[in-house]
Amino acid sequence: MLISTRWLSRHVDLGGLAPEEIAESLTLSTAEVEGTSTFAPHLDQVRVGFVQAREPHPDADKLSICTVDVGGAEPLQIVCGAPNVDAGQKVAVAEVGCVLPGDFKIKKAKIRGAASAGMICSVRELDLGDEHDGIWVLDADAPVGVGVAEALDLRDTVIEIDNKSLTHRPDLWGHRGIAGELAAIHDRELLPLDLSLPPTGDGRPVAVRIESEACSRYVALAVDGVRQGPSPDWLRMLLLAVGQRPLDLLVDLSNFVMLDLGQPNHLFDRGRLAGEGIVVRMARPGERTTTLDGEERALGEEDLLICSGDEPVALAGIMGGEGSKVLDGTTELLLEVARFDPVTVRRSAIRLGLRSDASARFEKGLDPALPMEAAAHLVRTLSSIQPQVSLPSPPTDEGSWSDQACEVELRAERVRRLLGLDLSDEEIAGGLRRLQFGVSTGAREGVLRVAVPSRRAGKDVALEEDLVEEVGRIVGYERIPVRSLTGEIAPPPYDGRRELTRVIQDRLSGGARFHEVLSYSFLSDELLATLGLDELPHVRLANPVCEGEHNVRRSLVPGLLAMVEQNRRRREDVRLFEVGEAYLPEHENERGEPREVHEVGLVWACVPSGADARFDAGCFCGLQGVVEDLLAFAGYDAPTWEAWAGERSKAWAHPRRALRASLPDGDGGQREVGLVAALEPGLHRSLGLADELASDVAVARLDLDGLLACAPRTGGYRPIPRYPATKLDVALALDATVGVDACVAAIERCGKGLVASCELFDVFCGESVGAGRRSLAFHVLLASPERTLGEADGRKFLRRLERAAADLGGELRSE
Amino acid sequence: MEERIGQLGTEARGRIEGAADAEALKTIERELLGKQGVLAEVLASIPGLEPAERPLVGRLANELKCELLGSLAARREALDQERLATDRACDDFDPTLPARRAVRGSLHPITRVRRKVEDVFTSMGYSILEGPQVELDYYNFQALNIPADHPAREMQDTFYCTGGGNLVMRTHTSPVQVRTMERAEPPYRVVSVGRVFRKEEQDATHDHTFHQVEGLVVGEDVTAGHLIGTLRALLARLFGRELDTRLRPGYFPFVEPGFELDVRCPFCEDGCRVCSRTTWIEFCGLGMVHPRVFAASDVDAERYTGFAFGFGLDRLTMMLLGIDDVRHFMAGDLRFLEQF
Repeated sequence: MLISTRWLSRHVDLGGLAPEEIAESLTLSTAEVEGTSTFAPHLDQVRVGFVQAREPHPDADKLSICTVDVGGAEPLQIVCGAPNVDAGQKVAVAEVGCVLPGDFKIKKAKIRGAASAGMICSVRELDLGDEHDGIWVLDADAPVGVGVAEALDLRDTVIEIDNKSLTHRPDLWGHRGIAGELAAIHDRELLPLDLSLPPTGDGRPVAVRIESEACSRYVALAVDGVRQGPSPDWLRMLLLAVGQRPLDLLVDLSNFVMLDLGQPNHLFDRGRLAGEGIVVRMARPGERTTTLDGEERALGEEDLLICSGDEPVALAGIMGGEGSKVLDGTTELLLEVARFDPVTVRRSAIRLGLRSDASARFEKGLDPALPMEAAAHLVRTLSSIQPQVSLPSPPTDEGSWSDQACEVELRAERVRRLLGLDLSDEEIAGGLRRLQFGVSTGAREGVLRVAVPSRRAGKDVALEEDLVEEVGRIVGYERIPVRSLTGEIAPPPYDGRRELTRVIQDRLSGGARFHEVLSYSFLSDELLATLGLDELPHVRLANPVCEGEHNVRRSLVPGLLAMVEQNRRRREDVRLFEVGEAYLPEHENERGEPREVHEVGLVWACVPSGADARFDAGCFCGLQGVVEDLLAFAGYDAPTWEAWAGERSKAWAHPRRALRASLPDGDGGQREVGLVAALEPGLHRSLGLADELASDVAVARLDLDGLLACAPRTGGYRPIPRYPATKLDVALALDATVGVDACVAAIERCGKGLVASCELFDVFCGESVGAGRRSLAFHVLLASPERTLGEADGRKFLRRLERAAADLGGELRSE
Repeated sequence: MEERIGQLGTEARGRIEGAADAEALKTIERELLGKQGVLAEVLASIPGLEPAERPLVGRLANELKCELLGSLAARREALDQERLATDRACDDFDPTLPARRAVRGSLHPITRVRRKVEDVFTSMGYSILEGPQVELDYYNFQALNIPADHPAREMQDTFYCTGGGNLVMRTHTSPVQVRTMERAEPPYRVVSVGRVFRKEEQDATHDHTFHQVEGLVVGEDVTAGHLIGTLRALLARLFGRELDTRLRPGYFPFVEPGFELDVRCPFCEDGCRVCSRTTWIEFCGLGMVHPRVFAASDVDAERYTGFAFGFGLDRLTMMLLGIDDVRHFMAGDLRFLEQF
């Protein structure tokens, strides 16, 4: 909202305060000021000139050559094309060098052979209105040579207040409200304003019937003898300063009252209304009306209408209708000042895409006591401009409302206790009085009885704490002494999930070289369908940002998979992880809340390794290793890996190349904690990972809640061996169906307790091994805690292994 | 024989002096003094000599052996020193060559700043809570004194879940206040950090998903002064020095009085882009817990007072790390993430 400091001075004397001080004091005590600006700064450059003489241009019918005194040593010769320019006028002169709105720089010119040293300006050229049928003729007493802004007292600083910081203050949506705040802040007097209705005739009042509770008060007043025309300059300038384009007297006046008191109002051409009076009712389904912007609007049962008889003439609180708007010849008015239900107005305005200055104010819930005062203000302002206007009949005041004024008790101690500021009872009472609250010290010590005027009562000030805020902001929050909390401090309860989350994030983002991402919680139907997850139950949004993006994630994996392609375009190796929440609607509790699960999602995609790469070169084995390392680092035993049976909820997983990890749960059982899988082959293309982006992709999901339920690692430190170990490399050529686990078991058995470690380092298939067979090569470390092993131990081991290999249907290939 | 030993000595001295490196010296030592070395040969020949000659030859051979061991050691030492001198001189060092990049992953910038914030609060005795993102309307609005017809509850501001409308995507972390107060008796010192959702158009400073930090302290003597002190302590830790703050009125339905806290811009003296040339940065919405919020959770508002505050983690992260577009946070672009 824009506030003109010149306008404010109609209500409060702010003499001695710089505009910046005014703005800052509002920010600190009332509402956030977003900035200040100077109104029409070019009016300081444009000077008052006196047209000494006007001659017709010898070579152009429509041009005049004027001699204009602008206070300099010599008068200026200026060529002017306006029909209304004449000798003896005071005019606004933009001299050479002056820059007018629209970056229009005035230069020396020759117009049809005549020299011109400036421009006599029209209202439009000065950005002060739309009229362009002639130059702006100033008051005859304007001092020549003085800047127009100063000469006409138009200097103004405009303060922009953040509307959001006024949502709870309907009383501040006009200049008088802001002036009241400034009067309180700077301890000045709020100038009186006569808001009583002038005497009326005793004609028949306008009939008004309210058929909906959405209108709690409707004041209607007939006004006669109006002459439509342009507004006086003072009114035009105030409106211009706050960004309103002046139109004509009646529209301007209506706006003026709204911007002055915060109360929207509407003027109808009474002659264009039907005889049976005003009816306020809800629209009927399918009803249509044309608003005064010329748009036809389709209405619904939730829209409140002002009707003349049965004919809609305005959308209540939003916009007037085309059929009853005031015209150039209008002389008889119907003034409407009403209070409409904030929610009804807001919803209609949103639905119709028609948020107006009026609706913005009604949405805040205006003071029901205000309409009659606003009506009086409009009539009084109108008669100060056109004394001939008359009120033929008393106002109609319909509706069911009550003055909101109330009394609230305030304990001075409560103020001190909440603010932590040692204020005396008198300071508290004084602050409230400055804000125009009535304060009486009640029967009880330290208790103030505070009378809240109607315009502040209601939602704004109803409780003791509301008054604490009033006191605090007016004495100044900067007075509150800064303190540190004291009290007993126990360490916060142990938070296992937060700790585990940190451990996982640190490990993955470190040596494992994964990058942490945050993905949106909302997944599109399209993505879920691509991944084959569209039949799973999801928490759904009723109003997503875009069509179809309405599924609340039940796993982090889909969001991660959707991030791979763009990154693979730029990187050969992409490793992403996320730790976060997901929601399962099928497990809702008795209050209807879905079950929240916590998981870690990991995706690893890279350029596929060549055919001769080591058996464990791919992302799948790599990711399995990352998970093993992560679990070890987080303090768990090595997981048990088992083949995975396939699950609909993880349709992204390869049906065979997938392993599930489980850990002991501490109660003697095993608990599944995660899955590592190669990406389902059919998804490479749909995820954009085919052709030039062909990738080896592995995916893992760890269940944080499951991990927290598992037992931490049992064994701790293993002593460092005292005796040196013997290293042997062995290769077993076996049928390809014999698992590595069977070989390792055989090797350990053959070591008779001496096998300290056994690590597969090569898998070889080829002619030399035979069809359907493969060679598995291991590094084996033999060690004893009791002695240094000799060559004999190795020989014995190999002999046993030879037999074991034969038992497995194969042979020991080398030593 | 004496002559032979003398000749051997001359040759050996020459070879030792001429040895180019430790490796050559080792070879020379083996050839001179090794089991099959020349000196061993001499010693082996002693039994075949005239008895009278034997002692002299033996002595000479031993003397030569001692001498050569000494020269070998001296030469070894000299070569060592030469090598060290060359190492130190390091003539081929090119200081402009780049380092070998240490390869690692990265923590999300939001995580980094979130941890900083959490650590400041845990050090002051706060518990860190999370609370559900799919939240009951009751906790997100009603219990926080946000009535049914409040504008924030309109469909264009809040994401509602289908099925009856009692579930929303939480629009702030404030529901955690109510959940905390419901669960236990005061005093509380809790901070809640997490994702929140508002139906906003996305641009450089707005996203429909962002992160908030919420704080709640309730006790028998908790005032607005403590609230300011707490946030000043946080800011001092985040920005590395004490920063001036100012409190001004602000409206949030679940606090009364309600404030906004501005912090003096840490990046400039007289206005910059970060503070929109005002030297103040809006940091936090805050206030004293509203009596209706206490009432919703059956906390005795006469006995206890409390404060609550909330601020955006995304904007703080952008400020601390100089990030200019909020949309980077959720885009998962490695070109962005790798920088942290």
